[in-house]
Amino acid sequence: MIRVKKGLTAVSAMTLSLAVLAGCGANNDNTNDASSPSASPSASQSASAPASGEPVEFQFYFTGSQNVKDLWDTLIPMFEKENSNVKVKPVYIPSGTGAQPTYDRILAAKQAGKGSGDIDLYEDGVNYVTLGGKDDVWQTLDASAIPNLSNIDPKTMQDVTNLAVPYRSSAVVLAYNSEKVTNPPTTLDGLLDWIKANPEKFAYNDPSTGGAGSSFVSTVLYKDLPEDAIHDSDPAIMQQWDSGFNTLKDLGKYVYGKGIYPKKNQGTLDLLQNGEVDMITAWSDMVLQQQNEGLLSKSIKMQQITPGFNGGPTYLMVNKLSDKKDAVYQFLNFVLSPEAQAVIVDKMNGFPGIELSRMSQEMQDKFKGVSEGFRTFNLGDLGTEINKRWQSDVAAQ
Amino acid sequence: MSKGQGRKQAILGLIMVSPSFLLLLIVVVLPIAQSFVVSLREESGGIGLGRYAYLFEDKGMRDNLIFTLRITLVSCALVLAVSYAMALYMRFSDGRLVDWIRRTYMIPLFIPGVIATYGLMNLLGNHGWLSRFLLVFGIELPRIIFDQKGIIIANLWFNIPFATMLLSSAMAGIPASVIESARDVGAGKLAIFFRVIFPLSFKTFLVALTFVFMGVIGSFTAPFLLGPNAPQMLGVSMEQIFGVFREREQAAALAFFTFLLCSALGYFYIRSMAQEEASRS
Repeated sequence: MIRVKKGLTAVSAMTLSLAVLAGCGANNDNTNDASSPSASPSASQSASAPASGEPVEFQFYFTGSQNVKDLWDTLIPMFEKENSNVKVKPVYIPSGTGAQPTYDRILAAKQAGKGSGDIDLYEDGVNYVTLGGKDDVWQTLDASAIPNLSNIDPKTMQDVTNLAVPYRSSAVVLAYNSEKVTNPPTTLDGLLDWIKANPEKFAYNDPSTGGAGSSFVSTVLYKDLPEDAIHDSDPAIMQQWDSGFNTLKDLGKYVYGKGIYPKKNQGTLDLLQNGEVDMITAWSDMVLQQQNEGLLSKSIKMQQITPGFNGGPTYLMVNKLSDKKDAVYQFLNFVLSPEAQAVIVDKMNGFPGIELSRMSQEMQDKFKGVSEGFRTFNLGDLGTEINKRWQSDVAAQ
Repeated sequence: MSKGQGRKQAILGLIMVSPSFLLLLIVVVLPIAQSFVVSLREESGGIGLGRYAYLFEDKGMRDNLIFTLRITLVSCALVLAVSYAMALYMRFSDGRLVDWIRRTYMIPLFIPGVIATYGLMNLLGNHGWLSRFLLVFGIELPRIIFDQKGIIIANLWFNIPFATMLLSSAMAGIPASVIESARDVGAGKLAIFFRVIFPLSFKTFLVALTFVFMGVIGSFTAPFLLGPNAPQMLGVSMEQIFGVFREREQAAALAFFTFLLCSALGYFYIRSMAQEEASRS
């Protein structure tokens, strides 16, 4: 692994230097232009002076599955049509290949004193918000620069100390086969009883390999803890996990294969689809999308429980060292507008990032009862501790 | 040969060796040394072997080690047995069947690992094709996927073609005249095998063993997707420690330990090569 990572760093260093070289090339072209009668400002000037008429172009790195790419392929032209002074250059990194190296590039550029490393805007989950907060690479955002920021639930912004914009979210729900299960549980206790009453018919995935499983684990761990604990990243709380881990250990003999936890969110979805289990925890957007594509049968239904499973926003983060922040803010403001949010809901089958009351009535009706009830866990590094302990206590019991 | 000429040749030799040596230094030796240095950093801040002690003290980790070694040894034994038998059969038999085997046995090499792994999951899973087929005859398939059996079957799929390729080239190198003369002096089939064929292909056998061993012990895709949650194979555990738990030092210790396991085998391999060189000169 170390070797692979070194290799990747070397590759990204090479890409960086290539980008620098390319930048030189562009500059040269521009000086050539400047020597011509119709003198245009040099590339570096035009970047910081949007008033000159040339659009500012900033680089937007995002990662995820194909649906995320489709989303931005729709949103960016919409934005550019209305804002001719800003151009967005999207850089798509397929899921699982590049998140860490992209972040490493941002950090490496900062440490080398090279500014933003040409990554102005970055999209990822809460882990990278926390990580970047520690390394001090994200810009603190406020509503004076991005007016639509006030559309977001202030509590969600507090969770990330205003370092990132939660622009969409999805939640973990129970997905079940409605042909076999007519009366799905609606509470956590009900679910635990159901699992014991129907041995080997429930599965959750290895929590270190996907959010659906990790949400089930943390929901069980925090079952009897105070409500505020899910926003607490203080390691002192780890002692209170004991009873939760005992419950999970005990569940081991009732879950699929008497203690088999498939890898990845997709692993359990496959089991549900081929009928090996009747109920799993799954991401709502994955279920909806795979049903739309016909990969998952229509008899699969979803149910949120109380207390709710984890719902996770996906965040947009602004590189603190970017010199095109105004353009980025303009874009973020657009992303948080109700029109853009409506596209996000359509394309991603996710919940809007802004408060539901700001959306159209139609949208509000669509998400009534489905998008409610999920909770945002923000445990910081404790998530890693949970995975570690789950591996030694539950998997290897 | 004059002294000057000898020196010139030595220098030329060094120059010709240096590119591969430098490559080896940069992509193998230095990273290993670096991993070793990283792995010495203790959790408390000092320097020591605590990370290695953890590999044996932690029950989960110890189980992982034993599990990995067991899978590796079983896989090696099965792969080499099958490959050797296949190579022998292809060398000493003729006919349409042999032709077909010769043409097709390499196919698994051209199928990407992840795809083959998903194929195995679909074939051998609890509701997979095989179990549906066997259900017709009232046979219930034991659990193969999410179990060590799955990993071993995947290892067979991945390693048999290459091992067979190596071994059959060794078989092809055994002159028919040697075997015929052994037969002429009255050696039986078993005697020919143990006194002629096996010794003559032993070196390649060792090469194949080394390749299979290293491939299996460091494998990731198949054990990740097909294996149980615990115990894990070292590759899976290493990824989890590095990528999920973010404990670079512990992952480095595990990586270095895996390297030691491999180099133990490498030692026997090199020693047998050296012995052969010595006996030749």
